[in-house]
Parts: sequence; structure tokens; C-alpha cells
Amino acid sequence: MASAQELSDFLSGIEQRAFKQAVYAVRDDDAALDIVQDAMIKLAEKYGDRPAAELPLVFTRILQNRIHDWFRRQKVRNAWVTLFSNMGKKSDEGDDFDPLESLSAPDDSEIHQDGAQKLEKSQLLQTLESEITKLPVRQREAFLMRYWDELSITETAKAMNCSEGSVKTHCSRATQTLAKALKLKGITL
Amino acid sequence: MKYSENQFTQTQVDEFGQASAALLRQGAQNIPQGVKDRLYAARMKALARRKPEKILIQKPVLAGSARNWTSGSNGFWDTLGWIAPLVVLVFGLIGIAQWQDDSRINDIAEVDAALLSDDVPPDAYADSGFMAFLKNGPLSDADSSSDLVHSK
Repeated sequence: MASAQELSDFLSGIEQRAFKQAVYAVRDDDAALDIVQDAMIKLAEKYGDRPAAELPLVFTRILQNRIHDWFRRQKVRNAWVTLFSNMGKKSDEGDDFDPLESLSAPDDSEIHQDGAQKLEKSQLLQTLESEITKLPVRQREAFLMRYWDELSITETAKAMNCSEGSVKTHCSRATQTLAKALKLKGITL
Repeated sequence: MKYSENQFTQTQVDEFGQASAALLRQGAQNIPQGVKDRLYAARMKALARRKPEKILIQKPVLAGSARNWTSGSNGFWDTLGWIAPLVVLVFGLIGIAQWQDDSRINDIAEVDAALLSDDVPPDAYADSGFMAFLKNGPLSDADSSSDLVHSK
């Protein structure tokens, strides 16, 4: 059974990774933070008494379920927004709203301060993260769980509720897609 | 690291995955301080709502119960404790059924013996004329009067 300290250490070690994974999926920092917080609370409330060794797999499953729930809610919300925006379309025609005005530029001031190596690494990371967000959901989940969370194929299959063969296929396809996309930009890992 | 155009071996997939993960790990450490603070707050919130640990409470044991005189595996004695009365009940029911069968056979045997040892042959009781003679004939009154005499 995991003690309070073990649970705290586990959450502290996984929170940043979980946040990034949630960001890759939902592409929104605030939503990702909410998802990670929900997943942490659920883990502590429902599975806080599990052995420490079981926590990574349980947390990964909770996090993935929370991300899926978020997409479901978004789908419902978008359906209503589309409905209402269609109803009020005529009155909004004269509005000259420019979405570019609300688009914030990425903060890259830090990049210019450091050397060429850091710049290269930063750009590489940005490109990789961007390509990861474009992957199909299942491929991204399998790839991140398998290599970033360092789960075994069996554990990944269990977390994704699919066969081990499917995990291998998802990982292989994700790798091919990423390698191809990076190669087009002249990058090899 | 160079990969062929279309096909990756499992080793190449693993190598690419590990290289990507190493890069992503570095990136995850550079998240803004504001996000780190919010993650810390979320962690504290989760820990505050942690499932309480289970405390083992020993069940009270009644004095004189089977657990007191069996020092060792209670499982066997517990099982025996509820199986033994069932076995006794089943054998008891079988015994009662057997005894009822025996007593019925004895009753029938007594009737048969009485019939066979009587002066009147048993076939006579199957004859309807003889039965009518016994009911309505002159012997019926005599029998009833003699019964009355005997009862007195």
C-alpha cells in the first residue's frame, strides 16, 4: 500500500509529463491543467491505497479517460455552439472580428539569449511536439505511454484496453509518421 | 540515426521512441513557472483528498466459542461446525423415513396374518355375496350383540 509520501513523490514525478501529454491531446493549457488535477484527485481518492508499483499504470488509465471525457464534453458543447451561432448568424454579419488579433505569439525570447545549440534543440522539440499533436489519438497514446511513460507493451495494452499487437502497430505507425514528418523538415533523431 | 524510407524494424521503432522521449522529457522540464505552481496546488489538493488507510480492527471473540478451544487453523473447525449439524439432520430424516416404512410393513403383516389364520378363507372377503351376508344376514345382529356383551 502506497504511503502518503510515496503518493506525493509519484505525483510530483509525473505531473509535468502528464500535463504535457494532456496538452498534446487537447492543445489547451488550462484544459490540460484541469484534466491533470482531476486525474490526480481521482487517483488519490479512489486508488490512494494501492501499492506504489501499481500507481503509474492506474494514473495513466485515469489520465487517458479524463482526456477522452474532455473530448466528449467538447463535442456536445460544440454542437450547441454551432446551433446557436447558426441561429444568430445574420445579426453577426457586420462584425469585423479578426481572430489574428487574439492569437498570442509564442514566447521565444529565451531562445535568442542562448546559443545555437539550444536554439536547434528548442526548434527540434517544438517540431516534434507539433507533429505529436497531429498524430491520431490512439497512435499518440500508444507512443507516449510506451516510450515516455516507459510502460511495457503488456502494460500499454492493458491501459489502452487493446491487444499487444495493436500497441506495436500503433507505435510503429506513429514512428513512421513522425520520422517522415521530421525528415521533410530536414531533421533526423 | 538513419531509417529506411518505409519500413521500420522493432529495434528502430524503439530507438526512435526512446530518442523522442528523451527530447520530450527535456521539454517537460521547461514548462512555465505559473503552470508548475498550478500543478503543485493540484497535487496538494489531491493529497488532501487521499483515500484513508485501512485500519485492521480485530473482531471480538465470544468466550466459549469454538475459536477458543481450537488453537490453530480455524478454517477446518468452522467448516465442520456448519457441516456436522447438516449431516446429523440428513441421517435423522433418513432414520425417521426408515422407521415409518418398517412400522407400516409390520401393520400390513399383522393384518395379513390375522386374515390367513382366520376360519374364513381370504377369498371369501372378495366375494360380494358373502359381504352382503355379513352385513344384512342373521349373524350381523348376533355379532353386534356379542360385541356389546364383550365391551361390557
